[in-house]
Amino acid sequence: MRSYNLNIAGYKIRIETTDDGPELIPSDRFLKNICFGREHDVLIRVRQGAPEIPEEAERVFVAPYVIEVKGIKINRKENFWSVYRDNVNLYITATFPSYSKKKNAMLRFSLLEREWDLWLDEQVHATDPLEYPLDGLILYYLTAINDDIMIHASGVNYAGNGYLFSGVSGRGKTTMAKLWDESGAKVIHDDRLIIRNVGGAYRMFNTPVYKDDYPNQSPLSKIFIIGHGPENEIAPLKGASAVSSVVANCIQHNWDPEMIARFLGSVSIMCSMVPTVNLSFIPDTKVIDFILSHENEPTE
Amino acid sequence: MADLKSVLSRSPSVVTRKTGKEYVLVPVTNNIADMTSVYTLNETGAFIWEQIDGSINTGQIIELLVTEYNIDYDTAAIDVFNFIRDLENYLITSHD
Repeated sequence: MRSYNLNIAGYKIRIETTDDGPELIPSDRFLKNICFGREHDVLIRVRQGAPEIPEEAERVFVAPYVIEVKGIKINRKENFWSVYRDNVNLYITATFPSYSKKKNAMLRFSLLEREWDLWLDEQVHATDPLEYPLDGLILYYLTAINDDIMIHASGVNYAGNGYLFSGVSGRGKTTMAKLWDESGAKVIHDDRLIIRNVGGAYRMFNTPVYKDDYPNQSPLSKIFIIGHGPENEIAPLKGASAVSSVVANCIQHNWDPEMIARFLGSVSIMCSMVPTVNLSFIPDTKVIDFILSHENEPTE
Repeated sequence: MADLKSVLSRSPSVVTRKTGKEYVLVPVTNNIADMTSVYTLNETGAFIWEQIDGSINTGQIIELLVTEYNIDYDTAAIDVFNFIRDLENYLITSHD
């Protein structure tokens, strides 16, 4: 196809190929996010080629490709993706480690403009323009533009209440989602969420990570910063402790002081409106009852 | 290593947010490996942070802490030197 529209976490993203660009084939995980209409928050034009980053551009952020094997992080590639800045223009260069052939991408964009350009250097008839890691990078900068929050977290909705469980790798996000799933809750996602303030209330949205992900969202009622412990225990987090606990689990490219300040503001406001607690837990279904039994307790 | 005459300066590469009487500090970084670095200053830490202006020395900050919180000099000195130990070279710098 020559163009399509996606609705991810409420962001309307239009993808168009240029006259000399490749055919577009979104991968399976995006198919359920395809929507109709031309209305969009951002337009991404897909082009074929490999233009140079302008000489004046400064590299402001770099990410290596790291895999985790049995809890040990192994650095597989120094330059997985990078962000460059030239005045208001930003450039992301990315490689695609999970793709069988060699492919590089460059995204030219601006936080002030809503028309972005994506170049792919692979000489093919058709391609998926949003392959990992580009999808997550594009979504991250959409959250930054909109003062939203992208967080490593699982989220569930139970009886109309939305519970978010956040923690670094190995702290039990996926385990918690499974336990709630077995208890009849609707799982929003088990790994990554976008939080947005919609009409004065916070909602959490999933993003397409797995091929069977359906678009999901829920009101956000409480945030749990989780970790395994010898018993189930809840302790309220307030003020700076709540903010820093949430910030530590968010996806953030902290190269720009203004972006950091806006992000800190977003998290601070959210933590002042959404109760945030530390939860140590034993990974069995008793933690569900434990959490629900604390629902009516004041968090002050 | 900082001593009583060391003058403290805040790093220009840190973004702060005051929440109540506390601070959240996030360093500016160019590498994803550091992106989850975030620091919290409690009320005492926040007071020390607010005194650091690039001209005041460590001994003067201890005296101000003694006055502000009506605590003994040794306790204030421990608080200030612990603060410096935790944040030096990354969020603050000291020089003679």
